[in-house]
Amino acid sequence: MRRIALPVIAVLLVAAVLGVQIAAGGTHYVPLRPADPCTPRPVPPTATQLEPLAEQIVLLGLDNAACRLGISRERLVLALAESRSLTPATTAALKAGLRDAVQRLDREHSLPKVSQLLPQVLDQAQLPGIAKTIVGAIPAGIIDSALPTGALLLRTIDDLDINRLSHELSDPSKLQSAVQSAILRAAASQILGRLRP
Amino acid sequence: MNGDRSSQPVGATTVGTGVVAALSVVVAVVLGDAGVVTLALPEILRDFGATVWGVAGVLISFNLVLALAAVPAARLCERRDPVAAQATGLIVFAAATTLCAFAQSLGVLIAARALQAAGGAVVIVGSLEFLVGARGERVGARRWAWAGVAGAALGPVAGGLLTSLFSWRAIFVVQIPLVLAALPAVAALRGRVVRVASSLHTAPDRPYIRANIALALLSAALTAALFLLVLLLVDGWGRSPALVAVAVTAVPAAALASGPILRAARAGTRSEAVAGAVLIAGGLAGLALLPGAHLVWTLAPQVLIGLGLGFALDSLTEAALRQRTPRALHGGWTIAARHAGVVIGLAILTPIFTADLRHAETPAKEAIARLVLDAPLPGSTKLELAEHLGRSLAAERDRVPNLRPAFAAVRVPSTQASAAAALERGLEDQLTRAATRAFRTAFLVAAGLALLALVPALALRDRSGS
Repeated sequence: MRRIALPVIAVLLVAAVLGVQIAAGGTHYVPLRPADPCTPRPVPPTATQLEPLAEQIVLLGLDNAACRLGISRERLVLALAESRSLTPATTAALKAGLRDAVQRLDREHSLPKVSQLLPQVLDQAQLPGIAKTIVGAIPAGIIDSALPTGALLLRTIDDLDINRLSHELSDPSKLQSAVQSAILRAAASQILGRLRP
Repeated sequence: MNGDRSSQPVGATTVGTGVVAALSVVVAVVLGDAGVVTLALPEILRDFGATVWGVAGVLISFNLVLALAAVPAARLCERRDPVAAQATGLIVFAAATTLCAFAQSLGVLIAARALQAAGGAVVIVGSLEFLVGARGERVGARRWAWAGVAGAALGPVAGGLLTSLFSWRAIFVVQIPLVLAALPAVAALRGRVVRVASSLHTAPDRPYIRANIALALLSAALTAALFLLVLLLVDGWGRSPALVAVAVTAVPAAALASGPILRAARAGTRSEAVAGAVLIAGGLAGLALLPGAHLVWTLAPQVLIGLGLGFALDSLTEAALRQRTPRALHGGWTIAARHAGVVIGLAILTPIFTADLRHAETPAKEAIARLVLDAPLPGSTKLELAEHLGRSLAAERDRVPNLRPAFAAVRVPSTQASAAAALERGLEDQLTRAATRAFRTAFLVAAGLALLALVPALALRDRSGS
């Protein structure tokens, strides 16, 4: 009896300790796993500033692109940060993902009016002062009917050089400038398109 | 095989308590030396800019030489003047320890550790004969075994405290006077050691293979408990060596508490060894299944390991020595088995956990990327932060990175400070989770080694049967 008692007590002690640890989550103490990029995330409230809006579109766009590529959003971001040289498939997935993001925000009425974004864009744009004054004087209603936000952003995305942007990731100011230039180009192109007979 | 020579000590002495105490201390110091550097390893790693494998070499060189030298050292003590051999061993150990204390490169440190082990091997097996001669076979052998258990259990604690208070070099400096203090005690034995001539002319008993294999497997598993646990707590969780030293006192405290339990239980060698192996395996499995990065979670598994250490090592060593002569030779076999086990443990577990640490990079980076992407911070701040975090992660391959410099390098407006601080805490938590996960397989493999020790342990003869 004495001979068996000590090993039995040892087994019971071990079972008690392991039981407590497993019950407290010992098997689940692991790093956060990436979320499924194909499960749509909730859309945050409408952003009326350019940077938060761009961030919303990029985050939703990354999800869409990752879903198309069959990888996690986080793995795609790490690949972008590490290689900085995109394959045609990745570039296409990113463009398509960003387009899907804009279309979703548009469908859910989560895009701001262009007139709300315009002051910030003009403020930071490298345009002659007179041009800024003229554009600033145009009534908001005319701007918003001439430049629907969704269409403007889709044109901007089509115009974006994703490969070049991936090289600017380390310099936020260059990235911002490149995005603003693309928006202005898209706006000009859209206005010109409207003016043509 | 055991015949009636077992009742005749090879060296019979009449010595005082002071000599017995001095010999017990040197046994504890030498056997504690296998683990005393464990808590200093992270600092040695940083000091010499070494890799995990490099610092594992500091442990491996000592244990490998001790394993290889223990049996030849026992033969030396048996065939030559044991007092002279013991004195030489003490001097070599002290000289090599001095070299360790002042080593300017990892190569010198590893070589000095090997020399330390060569001297230490003679000291340990020589002390066994003197202790048995002084206190009789049962008490002397048990005292020798307990000095070894105490040294192995207290070594990491002492090493951690000394490293924190002074530097890793201090752990070697303090050993020098402790070892040299035994020299007068050994010199006092000259002329008082009586050799029993018959023992020199009869074939030695065969080593007790089962007990020695169990000792080797449990020592391999215990390596994980000390080496991996300390690396996890200091490097993985970022705790200070002093705090870790205090935290890992749970192992020696439980090992010491096992003595009265054993005496009360009187369960027999096999039961003690089996219970010890189960407790060590269970404790290691507990370390593999930590539910959080709080030191409290490591205490219960450590207590299991400490109890198992006290139960198994003591009874297995005693079983390996019982009624076998020459004792120094069988003491040498137990030392060889234990330290070969440590080397095997390190050789098996180090590549497992370094590979797991490397594999942990991807999930850790993905978790970090997720938190950064979803952080309530402006995109420009996130991009800047991501750039610095990427550099921190790239600079610390095979180690858990320190993210503080990345956050310090980014100027965050005061309105975003709390969000940035929350993100930093979140990222640290993810790294801790990834590091803890990276050690899981190694702890489970170590638990498997302890369970494997059940095979020879179950086949042991009990005290009455031997």
